[in-house]
Amino acid sequence: MSEALSWVKVGTSTDGDIATAFQEALAQLDLPGLPKLLVVLAAPRYDLGAVAKGLAQSLPGCPVIGCSSSGEIGPTGALTHALVLWALGGSGVRVSTGLGETNGQGLRQAASQAAQCLNQVERRDHTVLMLLSDGLGGDQMEVVRGAYDVAHAEVPLVGGCAGDYLAMKQTQQLHGERVMTGAVVAAAISSDRPLGVGVSHGWTPVSEPMQVTGSKDTLLSSLDDRPALDVYLEFFKPAPEVQQDAKAFADFAATHPIGIRRRDKIEMRHITGFDAASRSLITVAEVPQGALAFLTEGDFQSVLGAAADSCQAAIEALGGSEPVGLLLFDCVSRRSVFSEARVQEETDLITSCTGGVPMGGFYTYGEIARTKGAGGFHNQTLVTLAIG
Amino acid sequence: MEPSWSLPLLSEILSAFSTEDPENLRNVLNRVAESVDAEVAAIICDGRIDWCIGLSAAEQGLLLQTAAAEPPELAIRAGRLNAFWASMGSNDRLMVGRLGLAYDLEERSLLRAMARSIQLSLRLLAAISSERQARLDASYQASHDPLTDLPNRTLVLEKLSGWIDNPPQDGDQYTAVLFIDIDRFKWVNDAHGHAAGDEVLVHVSVILKRSVGPNDLVGRLSGDEFIVLTRTPSAQACTDLALRILTAIQTPIQVAGTELSHSASVGICIADPHDKASSVIENADMAMYEAKALGRGGFALFEPRMRQKAQERLSLEEELRHAVGSGQIEAHLQPVVRLSDGKLMGFEALARWRHPDLGLLSPAIFIAAAEESGLIEQIDLIVLEAACQAVGRWQRLPGLGHLRVSSNLSGRTLGSADLVAHIDPILAASGIKVAQVFLEITETSLVEDIPSTASTIERMRQLGVQLAIDDFGTGYSSLLYLKRFPVGLLKIDRSFVANLGSNPDDEAIARAILSLAKALGVEVVAEGVETTTQQEWLTDLHCAYGQGYLYGRPKPMAAIEADLIKPLGPGTPLLDGQRPAAEMIQP
Repeated sequence: MSEALSWVKVGTSTDGDIATAFQEALAQLDLPGLPKLLVVLAAPRYDLGAVAKGLAQSLPGCPVIGCSSSGEIGPTGALTHALVLWALGGSGVRVSTGLGETNGQGLRQAASQAAQCLNQVERRDHTVLMLLSDGLGGDQMEVVRGAYDVAHAEVPLVGGCAGDYLAMKQTQQLHGERVMTGAVVAAAISSDRPLGVGVSHGWTPVSEPMQVTGSKDTLLSSLDDRPALDVYLEFFKPAPEVQQDAKAFADFAATHPIGIRRRDKIEMRHITGFDAASRSLITVAEVPQGALAFLTEGDFQSVLGAAADSCQAAIEALGGSEPVGLLLFDCVSRRSVFSEARVQEETDLITSCTGGVPMGGFYTYGEIARTKGAGGFHNQTLVTLAIG
Repeated sequence: MEPSWSLPLLSEILSAFSTEDPENLRNVLNRVAESVDAEVAAIICDGRIDWCIGLSAAEQGLLLQTAAAEPPELAIRAGRLNAFWASMGSNDRLMVGRLGLAYDLEERSLLRAMARSIQLSLRLLAAISSERQARLDASYQASHDPLTDLPNRTLVLEKLSGWIDNPPQDGDQYTAVLFIDIDRFKWVNDAHGHAAGDEVLVHVSVILKRSVGPNDLVGRLSGDEFIVLTRTPSAQACTDLALRILTAIQTPIQVAGTELSHSASVGICIADPHDKASSVIENADMAMYEAKALGRGGFALFEPRMRQKAQERLSLEEELRHAVGSGQIEAHLQPVVRLSDGKLMGFEALARWRHPDLGLLSPAIFIAAAEESGLIEQIDLIVLEAACQAVGRWQRLPGLGHLRVSSNLSGRTLGSADLVAHIDPILAASGIKVAQVFLEITETSLVEDIPSTASTIERMRQLGVQLAIDDFGTGYSSLLYLKRFPVGLLKIDRSFVANLGSNPDDEAIARAILSLAKALGVEVVAEGVETTTQQEWLTDLHCAYGQGYLYGRPKPMAAIEADLIKPLGPGTPLLDGQRPAAEMIQP
């Protein structure tokens, strides 16, 4: 029997031993052929380099990209401290991978460099560029802009930022057998069958609109001419430890992001920390000076509803084709809203929407989805890539 | 109430400019496109695309082809773009393209306002950048040498002060200054022109930069004086650096179509804590003088005694300057005779310094200082003028019309562009027979083939003055210049004359010079004739003229007149202010 035009297989493990976890995840893949792309999504406790080496031995010649995560998603739903192997194959699928490092150059250039793989891939009818970047490595808008410089209006962008379970210390990116920090890795996926991207969040502005009066790169210094940290803390009045402890602040901020007014939507910005000396907030991507901003809060129902919207949008973008698999880029803050006890409800809803096709994914520090317009960096969002 | 969505986006664009951050500016087009969910934004100016996002190179070509018509729609691979065109001044246009959805009124207003904002902001930024650049340039120019782009004296002193005040933490490093001076640089300038001199300076600056370490500093103080500031663990490391520099500089280079070899001299001073930067550089300068005095092309480490020596040198130079201005420089004359019968034929004029405290000083004491300071030019002219006045007068006495005079010109004087303008009136005022005036120069001055010298000599030829080649046989002895220039006299160097009768080689050289001179129709004077044996040899060799102690030492003109002129002519004194005989140098 000839190989299907496209297929997706996902293997996962939560075993604490790296060798066992790798073998378990690999066995679950149950591959019908050599994958055209293997995406590794691993909790920081796993050695990405060891996984890459294992893949090089088990699946020689298979292109591999990956990153560290802040929570993982497997076919059965949300996972914790897991290893996920997401494999894409099929006779109608072509893949080329690339990487760009920020050593001595900006994020935009690094992303452009990684995106050059688009010029190497054999183009089929449908193409998408997947990007995995370092969520702690600077203004992630630059990653989208750099990739867009190569992809232009024609090719949608999708992806997410690597995480480290909110330790906010270091994330890792994988290309082949190279493990890096501060890098952008990419896979140009071109297929005879449709590829769909869906994006949705479910956050509600809770403050009056404020003008961003001081901001540069990822440092938001003032709102309505007042120190941004003071405005934030005065408004939400969090518990005292939030104002002193970086981890407690990161946990709190995960469910209280900044929203920026756009033409017909609110764009979210995840807050990763604060600078006590300058009373500034640190964000994962630029909050543009001059913009209109809101303080927002996620409520369970709206965030959950957005998950269904994102998946449905991705599947609808397949134009009637049945999905063979999903790759989810889900914001770590959404997981915080659901809490560990109810996090499964999101993935259950997704499964019910998609009819149980193989899915994998990870919780990110920022999501990339550009299908229209030139922008495409998101936070507090679920981005779905549906493989037709 | 929440304001309109478009106003904050316009405010974002203005903020992007207000930060004056180039990285921010680069994103302006992205911000414009992102503001209205457009895929494409481009700035088009005079048939070219300055900035563009969202289009491939081929699609940009298509955009350019149709840009003049400002079409409302453009077909690209991703679909049909609704294009909005906004003017950004007389030439520039902003095009924003969106797939699928046409722009509503608010979006069009926003894009127009953004285009206008970008236009105004770019102009303002250009003006600010230009102003800022001008300030940076001015500051750079004030601290750097425009020719070599090296830090100048001001910056070198500033850096050196900083180095001395902030010694390295480890305490094992010392701050040292290397003072580098190119040997005989003026000759390069004179011989090949200032452009060639500049080439040499740039070449040396490159060599110095290559020779030093990454943390060292190379500067140019002035002219051919360069400085290297270095941190050094020992004097040995410093002298090693000096040797590396000297070796590198000695490599010949092509300048103005000629291969030039040159050397440099290096003075080294290691700074003590609390030393003044200017003193350290002065000390290195003195050490450099010492290196030059030791024979050029070498280096010397500063020692305190050098300061004393430098002060003496400076004081000699000051005194000499005063001497030149106050008539202490005199011309003394040494007779030249015809060997066949001992007849007085003329004189060589020689400079002497009548020092108020030290008495009569010979050139050996002051010529080096005169050359170094440039006073030699005035000294040469003082001697020539005095000699011409005296000999001119004597020529008018009966039976003395044949008297000649030769006067020395240093290479530096010969290279002076206005030399003829000075000589001409001297000759005219003295009434001397110009054809009997010889200007004595060394072979080196001619062989160096200085363009300005060639033109000076040509103008002297026009005046009727002839050249005498001093110390012939000791230098290049190139025959080419004998033909090229108006050489009327060769003077056989005293070193050959001294050994006549005892050294066959010197005899052979003397014979060769005489036969060469005869063939060219040039007269010969043998210098340094002291014995009758030498005189006989020279007579046998058919040398026409001789000069030396055998015929008389150089004497003041009054003594010459009293001893040699008066006995030959009428008794009327010709010179005023004769000096007492006791002051004269006796033969």
